[in-house]
Amino acid sequence: MIFLAKAALGFGATIAVVGAYVFHEGVIRVDVDENRAAGNHVHVWVPATTVSLGLRCVPRDRLEEAASKAQPFLPLLREISKELEKYPNAELVDVKDASDQVRVAIVNGRLQIDAVNEDQVVHVRVPAAAIRDVVDRLENAAPGI
Amino acid sequence: MNQPSRSLLGFVSAMALGACSLVPPFAAAQTSSSSEQWIHVRVESREDKTETVRVNVPVDMAVKVLPAIKHKNLCNGKVHIDSAHLDDVDLHTMLDAVRTAKDGEYVTVQSKENDVRVAKSGGYLYIHATEKKYREKAAKASEGKESANKTPAAWESKVEVKVPMKVVDALFSAGKDELDVVAALRALSANGNTELVNVKDEESTVRVWIDSKSVSD
Repeated sequence: MIFLAKAALGFGATIAVVGAYVFHEGVIRVDVDENRAAGNHVHVWVPATTVSLGLRCVPRDRLEEAASKAQPFLPLLREISKELEKYPNAELVDVKDASDQVRVAIVNGRLQIDAVNEDQVVHVRVPAAAIRDVVDRLENAAPGI
Repeated sequence: MNQPSRSLLGFVSAMALGACSLVPPFAAAQTSSSSEQWIHVRVESREDKTETVRVNVPVDMAVKVLPAIKHKNLCNGKVHIDSAHLDDVDLHTMLDAVRTAKDGEYVTVQSKENDVRVAKSGGYLYIHATEKKYREKAAKASEGKESANKTPAAWESKVEVKVPMKVVDALFSAGKDELDVVAALRALSANGNTELVNVKDEESTVRVWIDSKSVSD
């Protein structure tokens, strides 16, 4: 009985620590719903940590290629991600008319993009820290670019 | 307390510890300086009240992000002006003349179609322009009548710009062919709450202002 309890404690603690590490950067969430017959419904929830871990597994030449393509935007992305982490919940952009709405906001350190119209609904949630991690990885992959 | 209970307590504690480690990023995201200045832009359609554009950007964010953008004439937070348009006008001399001049109205134009007023007062540069327009029906109805000139304008398009002189100075501080947008934003931030642009015409209203609130009112 004691052995089982200790095993449960060890297992639980491991799960808690792993869970805390995996989710400490938050979750990247993409939801796309097409409002038509046989429309696509895509719902992706990915822990942000897996993106930075995944980038470590990408072959160096592929990462350099991606870095060279993204290079003009890396300084901008870096600054934006740094700044987003500083601000409280705020609505940065809200554009709407009778049928469409596009909203860009910061909520709890996450960049939220919502695009809603009659045909489809798109929600994207990305932790600012995840953007910064990706920029860091790309810059480290090709520092000379 | 028996052993299983202690193990259960340990398990719950470990879970709570793990959950707590998730909290700091969110808590950190909530902190922000209350003195932070925000630029707000609001465009509202007068015809369709549901059409709106709202932009709220922290000035500090704009100051840091702008230098990272290199696009066409914008580089390092400065907008390069095509010198061909400035050959005939020495903007710096004009600006210096305005800066050193006393407060007052520099330009006043009043006509049947337009009113324009450029003035300096209390450290602010004011530019007010009003375009008087007649509705088609009103114009047709007044055709051929002697009193046509006395018919009041059916609607007006108004543009009101109020810019602190310090911001104008900062904007032109980069050099002859450049506008230093970042320096102007810094000066704007230091100036406090200001209503910068107000445009009202038949189709829409546009407001640009700066204050310490993160949301537009």
